[in-house]
Amino acid sequence: MRTSAPCRVEMRVPRRPEYVRFARCAAKTLALQLDFTYGDACDVELAVGEVCTNAVEHVAADACEEMVVCFVVEEDQLTVEIRDDGQGFDADSIGASDPDLEEGGKVGLTVVRAIMDTVDIDSGTGCGTVVRMSKRRERPSA
Amino acid sequence: MSNALEIASRREGEKAAVLSLAGEVDVANTPQMRDAALQLISAGVVRLVIDLSATEYMDSAGLGTLVGLRKRLRESGGELLLAAPKPRVRRLLDITGLDQILAVHEDVAAALKEDEG
Repeated sequence: MRTSAPCRVEMRVPRRPEYVRFARCAAKTLALQLDFTYGDACDVELAVGEVCTNAVEHVAADACEEMVVCFVVEEDQLTVEIRDDGQGFDADSIGASDPDLEEGGKVGLTVVRAIMDTVDIDSGTGCGTVVRMSKRRERPSA
Repeated sequence: MSNALEIASRREGEKAAVLSLAGEVDVANTPQMRDAALQLISAGVVRLVIDLSATEYMDSAGLGTLVGLRKRLRESGGELLLAAPKPRVRRLLDITGLDQILAVHEDVAAALKEDEG
């Protein structure tokens, strides 16, 4: 499936652990449908899983019931935007220091930054969180 | 909602056990994985091999749980050993640097062999 004009697909997903799989599998399916390599589609799946897991685990239980997962399909890339209306966090603090792996430090966003081409986090205390990340599609070599 | 993960365990002598994770490990089922491991630890297992040969997906929630279990085992002089991770899981271990912390073996037999040593 190829498209010239950007196309949006939006899902509202319950902010519960059992729905993270649904969101990440949808992401992988779309990436494969867009002719991403299997490895890149798996990266998109993992990135969506990590960000949704953050929304499930780190947003206060009574803050919001859903997260919104929006895919923007463009000719050469897939952008995923995941937002919640939770309490937000200081985005500048993320990545400021290496997580303590021995202590089980949170490494989800480290993973996302390593496997996606661009990652942008828009969050602030009391303002909810939006994570935008994109993956470029590899063109077949001539 | 069906579970994407099948967990099986077997004892290997008095102090060791293998916990096999078949399917996908994510935030929805890490509590089950942790409970299964803690059950073995409570029953006297101090060396635990995690068989990842049929683990198709794992995220940082799963890795975090493994790191926590390793800490618990080491506090009692034990160890957690990973066996046969597929390329996706191996890559995640590499990205996070956890391959420097968690002992990774080619297969269960190799992990158990180290266990004997």
